[in-house]
Amino acid sequence: MVVGIDPEDKAAVHPIELVLARLLRLGSMVAAALLAVGIALMVFGHTGFAPRLITVGLLVLLGTPVMRVVAAAIIFVKERDWHFALFSLVVLCALAVGIYFGKGM
Amino acid sequence: MVITFISIFAIGIVAGVVGAILGLGGGIIIVPALTLGFGMPMRTAVAASTVCIIATSTGAAVAFLRDRLTNTRVAIWLEMGTSLGALTGALAAALVNQRVLFVLFGLLLAYSAYNMFRTRKEHARPEVVPDAISRKLRLGGSYYDKALGRRVEYQVTRTLPGLIIMYFSGAAAGLLGIGAGIFKVPAMDQVMGMPFKASSATSNFMIGVTAASGAVVYFARGDVKPLVAGPVVLGVLLGAILGARLMMRMPAGRIRLFFMPILAYTAIEMIYKGVKWW
Repeated sequence: MVVGIDPEDKAAVHPIELVLARLLRLGSMVAAALLAVGIALMVFGHTGFAPRLITVGLLVLLGTPVMRVVAAAIIFVKERDWHFALFSLVVLCALAVGIYFGKGM
Repeated sequence: MVITFISIFAIGIVAGVVGAILGLGGGIIIVPALTLGFGMPMRTAVAASTVCIIATSTGAAVAFLRDRLTNTRVAIWLEMGTSLGALTGALAAALVNQRVLFVLFGLLLAYSAYNMFRTRKEHARPEVVPDAISRKLRLGGSYYDKALGRRVEYQVTRTLPGLIIMYFSGAAAGLLGIGAGIFKVPAMDQVMGMPFKASSATSNFMIGVTAASGAVVYFARGDVKPLVAGPVVLGVLLGAILGARLMMRMPAGRIRLFFMPILAYTAIEMIYKGVKWW
């Protein structure tokens, strides 16, 4: 990792993309594994347990983008990039309110 | 059952590849395939398709982020618009006339299809001069284009109009259940002056967040059927990973060429939906 050059260059090697990529890869791999095992079990006739495993896989996938916004917010706060930390917070608040109202619908 | 699983899975792969390349959610393939092809209820299909949007976004984003095709700063700036818009849309859904909105948004899409056709030659574009917000927030970016074999540097402009369009695109997603990426790609490409591939990748990155809040609603209502959503989502995840790799090697002009008919089709479909109910 190259650090401490002028701000233009620093933006170019910004590690946030790599951190988020790692997080999203973890989320999608865990979700894919749960889904694959769940579907395989379903095919072999474990009809009670398999749908629940699939649902857990879908929920992991659902949580991944939300975790991505949280991770971005933390990175921006750490880097004292206050504008973008604020933007991430706005997104998180909108998501939280949406989920709160959505559940009641 | 196995045959059904395999065919739903295959549909997922196709939708994932197409979605990842074009920066869309893939609902345009999944919803008709599940309702018309498998006779599933609309609610089940739309719920599965919403989870698929997250799968497309997450699966494709890994590769796009690593290659810096995704502009994370632009994405977070615009996500403010989409998430607040989606919230407004969901809350206002009972108050507004959906038919009028379908026609309005349909016309908007038709216009952007026309505009995209008119400016289809990427190199014929004038130099993009960043506006004040773009300069202050350092929104410009660069990526290595595997199709061109060189690094593409670009600037971003009209950041505020872009944000406002995203607000309405989020509201459309909340109100009409459409528009995961179909509004976002043209807004970045046509309005904000971003290269098409960066627009598509950034749209891809953003749609997961908007879809997540919608998916929670479908989960709470019990519309997400694991036996339908499971295979299709798994297919979309794998398809999106594959699609992202393909997209990075494709020339921007060709991706645009694929995007235009889908844009035109969606525009016609929306206008038709609005007019039909009158």
